[in-house]
Amino acid sequence: MASTLSQALGALDEAKVDEEVRGELAAETPALSILGELQEGMRLVGEQYECNEYFLSELILASEIFKNASALLAEGLAKQTDNKLGTMVLGTVKNDIHDFGKDIVHMVLESNGVEVVDLGVNVPYERFVEAVREHSPRMVGLSCLLTTVFDDMRATVDALAQAGLRDQVTILVGGGPVDKKRGRLCGGRPVLRGRSGRGRGSQESTGGELT
Amino acid sequence: MTTPRELVEERWRRIKAAVALEKPDRVPVVPLGDAFAARMTGVSVADFCTKPEVAYPTMVDAFTSLGDIDGIQHASYNVNMLSTLWLSRLKIPGRDLPENDLWQVEELELMTPEDYDQIVDQGFGPWRDRYFAERLDNLMDRVGPFVGSLPDAFAAWDAVGIPVVSPVITTIPYEYFCGGRSMRAFVLDLHRMPDKVQAAMDAAQPALEEGARGVIRAFGLKGIWVGGWRAASEFLSPKLWERFVFPYYKRMVDVVVAEGCIPVLHFDSNWTRDLERFRELPKAKCVLSLDGMTDIHRAKELLGDHMCLMGDVPPRMLTIGSPDEVHSYATGLVRDIGPTGFILAQGCDIPPDAKPDNVRAMIAAVH
Repeated sequence: MASTLSQALGALDEAKVDEEVRGELAAETPALSILGELQEGMRLVGEQYECNEYFLSELILASEIFKNASALLAEGLAKQTDNKLGTMVLGTVKNDIHDFGKDIVHMVLESNGVEVVDLGVNVPYERFVEAVREHSPRMVGLSCLLTTVFDDMRATVDALAQAGLRDQVTILVGGGPVDKKRGRLCGGRPVLRGRSGRGRGSQESTGGELT
Repeated sequence: MTTPRELVEERWRRIKAAVALEKPDRVPVVPLGDAFAARMTGVSVADFCTKPEVAYPTMVDAFTSLGDIDGIQHASYNVNMLSTLWLSRLKIPGRDLPENDLWQVEELELMTPEDYDQIVDQGFGPWRDRYFAERLDNLMDRVGPFVGSLPDAFAAWDAVGIPVVSPVITTIPYEYFCGGRSMRAFVLDLHRMPDKVQAAMDAAQPALEEGARGVIRAFGLKGIWVGGWRAASEFLSPKLWERFVFPYYKRMVDVVVAEGCIPVLHFDSNWTRDLERFRELPKAKCVLSLDGMTDIHRAKELLGDHMCLMGDVPPRMLTIGSPDEVHSYATGLVRDIGPTGFILAQGCDIPPDAKPDNVRAMIAAVH
């Protein structure tokens, strides 16, 4: 049975989530335990998304509630063991300034325990290389909206290869115009649309693990 | 020898038959491509998207060399029109980007929640005028010359016998506010302050309807784009969509149809969930233009006896596919979605890096 806090997040009850988190902190519940309840709440949100009860609009709200609630835990979490599942370096590739799809991926992964290093938009190839060297992520996410930047996606993957980093990471490519064929031409693993395919690319990429 | 005027009349007859769900002599093809036209003809994208005197001749040159088309969706192009629709700033080639890059819309929160109150208090028109002047750097100074060039653009298409089907764009308050606020902030507004947003939408809608009515009369338009991008079903729960999206489209469509004009519902992204709702729109008066994300076959099942469908050769297929692949897809559409109540087109817009031979293959599919 999910906790009251988890259920409140699953129901997108922003005020209740805030009240519950503050109450648990006052009762000296460990921050890591509260975070676990919030992640369970996000799992409930995901279930409702899978069965067409929730849509992108609800995912955005859920991520916002999660982010604000997590901020209340920041001090407590800093003292405890890192509970992150792994790291992803994420960005919209060079010559494309669209960030909406990328931001959604950021929110969903972060609220599911993945540490996301978000490089922003119009990210130069070498910036991805630097970030991979610096953060040693398991995955790199490349986003685009424009068909005209497919070459920049490819060039980003090539830059990682030339730096000798290609084999250290799984590269996921996504965005409005990316289909299976284009994704593979870009040198990455396409993350496809659709509820049944949601997150499948990342699960396949990691064998279900993000360590 | 058929004159350009006779050609325009013949092609309009074909298009109107499709809209009326009658059987035309063949399926019409009505494409659109803007930056594609510039790149294809070697014109600078920077000049194309900012200089009205460059834009429409470039489009005419491009689309008279790709095979016989029955119409063109827009007569011309100007990048500043995007700011008028989405209340957003732009990255413009030649100014902010290399000369032949594609323009891009900046996702910024230029609108604040206080603007909803101001729209109610001041009226949408005056609020928007000030927004254009103060937050979009006197936008109308750049839009004016483009609007002034439209009669010349219409004449240029008339001269080559090609009807301009839907040369002006209108939409609903949702799309304006979503652009001005940014998608994330706006969706949170829908959850956190729904009454305030709805009050602003209700204040804006009559002004947008009046604007559409005015432009239809001023230019004698036979068709008008009614755009839908981020209002798509895939982004919103049914509860939000039913409250903030569909009622406003219905009102706008009713206004356009009452003017004797064809609303071309240019609906990008996935609207499959709500297709049945479109049966509430006037029968045999509208066009539903899909971009390859909505299931057009499902649309045919649900709406085939109610409204004309348009589309939906996927833009990415025009970029990376082969002419055979495009031709096969397009002839499949003509066979399965046509021959009645169907207009062949690309989904959304022909992308700038589409291969001209792929566009030729699409156009050839109706001949």
